Amino acid sequence: MRHSIEVAPLLEAGADEFFCGLTPPGWESRFGKAWASRRAPGSADVPDADDFERIVAKAGSRPVYVTLNAPYYPAGAVEMLAEFGARLLGAGAAGLIVADTDLLLALAESGHGQHLHVSSLATCINAGSARYYRDLGVRRIILPRHVTLDEIGQILIPDLEFEVFLLNDGCVFEEGLCATTHAAGAFCTLDGEGTEGILPATLERYAFWKWTLNHSGCRTGNGYPMGPCGLCAIPRLLALGVVSFKVVGREASLPRKLASVQIAAQALRLAKQGAGPKQIQEAVVALRGSPQMCEERHLCYYPDIWRKETSAC
Amino acid sequence: MLPPGQLRALYFGSEFCADLLPGGAAVRRYCARARSAGIEAVLLTPIATPAGLARIQKLLAGFAQTGEAPAVVFNDWGVANLLRESFPHLERRAGRLINRGLRDPRLMDQVPDAETALEATGSERGRRMRAHLVRFGVTALETDVDIEGSFLGDGSEGLQRVLYLPFAFAASSRNCLVKAEGAPTSDECFTKGLEIPCKGSCRGRRDRIERADTRLPLWRAGNTIFFEVPQFRAGAMIQQADRIVLHGRPSP
Repeated sequence: MRHSIEVAPLLEAGADEFFCGLTPPGWESRFGKAWASRRAPGSADVPDADDFERIVAKAGSRPVYVTLNAPYYPAGAVEMLAEFGARLLGAGAAGLIVADTDLLLALAESGHGQHLHVSSLATCINAGSARYYRDLGVRRIILPRHVTLDEIGQILIPDLEFEVFLLNDGCVFEEGLCATTHAAGAFCTLDGEGTEGILPATLERYAFWKWTLNHSGCRTGNGYPMGPCGLCAIPRLLALGVVSFKVVGREASLPRKLASVQIAAQALRLAKQGAGPKQIQEAVVALRGSPQMCEERHLCYYPDIWRKETSAC
Repeated sequence: MLPPGQLRALYFGSEFCADLLPGGAAVRRYCARARSAGIEAVLLTPIATPAGLARIQKLLAGFAQTGEAPAVVFNDWGVANLLRESFPHLERRAGRLINRGLRDPRLMDQVPDAETALEATGSERGRRMRAHLVRFGVTALETDVDIEGSFLGDGSEGLQRVLYLPFAFAASSRNCLVKAEGAPTSDECFTKGLEIPCKGSCRGRRDRIERADTRLPLWRAGNTIFFEVPQFRAGAMIQQADRIVLHGRPSP
């Protein structure tokens, strides 16, 4: 979220947890255009510390996490962010979402391990890597977007919480292995067509896939975003032990966030009532429309759910 | 622009894709080649899915039968853990993906102002991680050229500092465009194709990329986009390096 006025409607829509971004005071004068998190502060951050405190108050028992997940920081920034992170925890943040190893180490060494979530930007995609982070004392790992359900089943280990992507905002590259910055525009937008030696038909497939990642050209169906979606996989993800489902896009408009949370909450309710992937898909299509996008798995974060449909989940 | 130096090591393997890892026989050949030249053998390993990690484990376990003991560059903390716990006799070196610094080719050719250039000579960035790596039993820190330019530090931690030239990576993905080219249908590409094994048709191949938003030469090699680093960027980091690894061509 990006403002305290969003808390009540998002709670009403079914949100169980919140995450937001906040940049330390004085950051810009020291570090210029560098961002304190992965998203542009102007369009994605909450306005200030006072509004953050209002968010925490309005969220009540629902946890509010703060993302400090830029993939790297300039010299001197980690010290400022570690101090800022500690202040946020003192002000009621339930945890900090971190990607940079230096910041992770600084916060863990300060005794905040149990309030740390490893960002998807850290690219934890195997159980050995998960054990590495568990040994640092973190509480949760957010898996990157591009993992299969089978892989998730192999990555999850005891004594750690795991969160996965559920809705919205695809990424062409592996986000943690994209060394470019959206501050200069999304590098992936122009990727593909200028590559010599790739067949036009392959480039066309690539362009279509990229279009689906970008919410099918920023479209909605009956108000619901038409972007990457893992709703039908919720039953399997719950069975695997995933504890949190990420609805991405804190910088989005409130109507888009509300629609996203509503459809996610509906799918989660169905899954907890015992619905399987097919029933959830039917419910989603009834709300969102465009059945062919689901039937042909164009929006699936986890298309392998359909291979697993007959298995117990 | 390179300082004088001797050939010290032979690097082989893959940093970006487990499907491109050499098999045991190929590793033995590389190690024999290095041994006959009197230089060090260094195996590059990639970021790894569970299957990739299992493949790396099998490869490393095979060394016990052959007696090979190349140094291993890890680019994944799971691989680092595997080395520390199961193969502690193998020298472990931190690879370029441990450095998540900015390497945007659209910004890389812009000459930094004097203040930024001065900051790049500092050693504060990555200080905790370098100390952590030393505690982890790591002997070397390897990277390509990034914009910040100070990742290798001042050497005070005792890590060997290694710089890759002349290419840096810009972005990498499992959703590989080259792999997709070999897919019979669109249902076997990108997200839908993650489970499908790759035939490695990118081996030996690199495709030039033309983009209007950068003047730097770019290539797609397998699942990764590389660019040629401007000399002024490389020159600043060469001063920090104890070893330079030269890549004849961009390769994942």
